[in-house]
Amino acid sequence: MADEGHGEGGGGQRPLLICLQGPGAPRLTPAHDLLAARFRLIVLAPPGASSDTLAAAIARPGPETFDLLATSAGAEAALRLALQEPRRVRALVLEAPTLGDAGLERRLSEVTAPTLVLVGTRDDAAATEAARRVKERVPDCHLVFVYDTGRAIAAERPEAFAEVVSDFLERHEAFVISRARSVIHP
Amino acid sequence: MKVSFFETVRYLPPQALPPEWPVPAGAYDPEAGARAYRGMIERLAYVEELGFDWVSVSEHHYSPRILSPSPIVSAAFIAAQLRKLTIALLGPIVPHSNPVRVAEELAMLDTMAQGRLVVGLLRGTANEAMTYDLNPREARERTDEGMELILKAWTEPQPFGWQGRHFQYRTVSIWPRPLQQPHPPTFALGTSRESLDFAARHRLGCGVSYGPFEVMGKATRYYREACGRLGWEPKPEQILYRANMLVAGTDDEARALLRAQANQAPFTLRAGVRDAMIALDARNIAGEARAAVVTGALPTTFVGSPDTVVEQVRRCREVVGAGVLDLSLHTPGSAELEPLTRALELFGRKVLPRIREI
Repeated sequence: MADEGHGEGGGGQRPLLICLQGPGAPRLTPAHDLLAARFRLIVLAPPGASSDTLAAAIARPGPETFDLLATSAGAEAALRLALQEPRRVRALVLEAPTLGDAGLERRLSEVTAPTLVLVGTRDDAAATEAARRVKERVPDCHLVFVYDTGRAIAAERPEAFAEVVSDFLERHEAFVISRARSVIHP
Repeated sequence: MKVSFFETVRYLPPQALPPEWPVPAGAYDPEAGARAYRGMIERLAYVEELGFDWVSVSEHHYSPRILSPSPIVSAAFIAAQLRKLTIALLGPIVPHSNPVRVAEELAMLDTMAQGRLVVGLLRGTANEAMTYDLNPREARERTDEGMELILKAWTEPQPFGWQGRHFQYRTVSIWPRPLQQPHPPTFALGTSRESLDFAARHRLGCGVSYGPFEVMGKATRYYREACGRLGWEPKPEQILYRANMLVAGTDDEARALLRAQANQAPFTLRAGVRDAMIALDARNIAGEARAAVVTGALPTTFVGSPDTVVEQVRRCREVVGAGVLDLSLHTPGSAELEPLTRALELFGRKVLPRIREI
């Protein structure tokens, strides 16, 4: 897997997951390796290009549908893309999203993609507040706190991050139903 | 016939709430909650005065409907404030509980309430599996194992270990044990073959709910036959039927109230969640498959004037075999308390004295 610019990992018939990194977010983490086992992964990361430029590149006409995972400030570009291409964005995962665009916030209720918002329990109050605003406004949205992480959730607890992201992308809202097995001895 | 009042702790929201489960916790109004619990005690004082035998409480989560996520707390609070009513705790949701903890708390409660405790153990409605991340595919077997462990914790005199499928303990030895020996009257609640077999095997009562008499009668007949094969016969007070009752001055009035009811499920799930749950959660009535998720309003099986309702209770006794009726007297679809108080009074004065001998 390439470690900067855009890299592709995995292959075959696995679903396409495009990761849109915000400025300053870690490029690749062990979480991306875990996700690459189940998804064809494309990681788009600045520098140089803004998240919106990258999103515009993704939005070029094409038949393929994809899941979109965006980190920090990348969330705004991802939400805009979900609004612009509702039939292509299957589901949206926002890792510690930051919001600053009031116009976009007003349109969150129009987002039709199933959306998962992740925020670390050690992140600041503004991060929780932003995540909650997305949860309140996006109609099919789930908020999950990831225990004992700050902003870089995927880097700090990659297994926990990859599990909830994979489960949500596979089952969407039905991921609230547990599949964990509790048998100790058969 | 023993008569139980199903206390649903009606919470009256100051503003309309979204219908879907779970209901956002931020919409909860603490003052309205405090009023709901004060109202519960005032109502139950009246229920006791009217001569009901039991009050029942139940476990439901993440919703203003039946504001009782911990029925043991409700039961303890009621037991401390009322002197005569038997508290029917119907019931702790076993598969997502620590069974030893349940056994301990119920033994405490039975002792503190001077033996005024009746217990119903159950698997819980489909939505409740999501409350504490219970895998619905495992709910049945966790329920059976948990119930068996609760009974063992109540009755085994020696410290014991439990090498279960889903639960493992190296040592269990509870104090206090229940005041009622060997344990409080206990029901396995549910219509499934598994639940009815469990009740028959452990000589527990069975409890069925809401369905039409004929359908619930199928479940109780299965239970009685299973008991018979195991060489014992349940007493009438070991068959409990929970139902909605709409009693009004006349039959016409009662039917008009019922027609006005919205056809809304008690715990509405988002479509994607509901469909996934139906695919995972197998339910049955005495072995015949039924839907796991209720998609419309729960039926009201007693409807009419006091005379009509008395006859329906007689039929229920014949068809279901129930010796205990656990009744919700709310006007279906209405959260208002005033109609409930009127129904309580009408039932208490005109129906209750006439169904004792049924």
